[in-house]
Amino acid sequence: MTGLMTWIAIALIGSGTVFLGIAALALWRLPDIYTRLHALTKADTAGLTLIAIGAGLLEGDLRVAVTLGVTVLLVAMSGATAGHLIARLQARQDEESN
Amino acid sequence: MLMFDVLLALGVVGTAVFALFGKDRFVSVAGFMVMGLLIALSWLRLGAPDVALAEAAIGAGVTGALFLRSARRLGPLEVRRLSGLHHAAAIGFAAIFSGVLFAVLSQSNLSEGLTPMVADRLWDSGVSNPVTAVLLNFRAWDTLLEIAVLFAALALVVLLPRRPVWPTPLGDLFLPFARIVAPLSVVIAGHLLWQGASAPGGAFQAGAVLSGGLLVLVMGRVFIPQAMRGNALVAIAAGGLVGFCLAALAAEILGGAFLAYPDGADKAWIVAIEAALTLSIAATLVLLFTGLPRRAHS
Repeated sequence: MTGLMTWIAIALIGSGTVFLGIAALALWRLPDIYTRLHALTKADTAGLTLIAIGAGLLEGDLRVAVTLGVTVLLVAMSGATAGHLIARLQARQDEESN
Repeated sequence: MLMFDVLLALGVVGTAVFALFGKDRFVSVAGFMVMGLLIALSWLRLGAPDVALAEAAIGAGVTGALFLRSARRLGPLEVRRLSGLHHAAAIGFAAIFSGVLFAVLSQSNLSEGLTPMVADRLWDSGVSNPVTAVLLNFRAWDTLLEIAVLFAALALVVLLPRRPVWPTPLGDLFLPFARIVAPLSVVIAGHLLWQGASAPGGAFQAGAVLSGGLLVLVMGRVFIPQAMRGNALVAIAAGGLVGFCLAALAAEILGGAFLAYPDGADKAWIVAIEAALTLSIAATLVLLFTGLPRRAHS
């Protein structure tokens, strides 16, 4: 049973890393700020959440799980809000230059 | 883990290059903030989680916010070519630094340090986190002076001409964000403050987190320091130094020595001082960001 849990955790952390890799790739390859934000805000949060769940399973401790949960909440919220603020600023600047 | 450490070191140097040679100020500050986070990670790898927390919260977070705030006022960056003198100075400094590094590393008895001495007397400090024991008990005098330095920085802000920050509205999404982050920052600051006695944490980290929460409220235009009556924030900021000095004098009277807490009550004294310091550091950092509340001119 412990073995199974470990494997699930490793799979979660692995797929989370893939998500973060895709986010990095998107930041590098996508053409403008909107598409980059579109990819980054989602893939980043998904990646971190998967890794946090995996790490929580590996630890198997409620205290650690709460800490990880708060971390994910903060990152998800600040990521979404920062993405919104950056896109908003860019949209205003585009409007002004037109 | 060697691979990780090498990548981390390269990352620190790379982001430092970004911070120094960024094309505009925003890129430079972003580079600086990422460098701070990587340095925090390095401290963690070196087994110093207390320093890592302080670096992440103050070095990367609050300092980054202060830089971003100033970057907008300073206007665009003018590119200047470095003169031969700059290069000569850089080479000279690199030579001196390498020499010092070599001299230090060739010493054989470095690893011990003061750790055994601290571990030996830890039971007498009232706390079980050796870093807090040093900062607030064994070498509390140093921390008192550090708070005085922070107070001096605030005094400079008071003396300089005032141009208080007036944040522009940040849209509909910011307030819901602030509603969750601001209370959470209070909880996390309290947790760091209390935890400081037995695990990494303490007044500086807690104060930085609390100031972060307050700055979110400032930027959401919920909390306006200029609208506070009198100079309440300044009073709280000064309260850290005043409280620490009073505690030192009280300990002198009660215990017969400067900053020697009465036996058995060390922890209560340390937590009380740290609580005052947390509020004071948070208020100071917010004031450094917003500028001093403007008095009504008549």
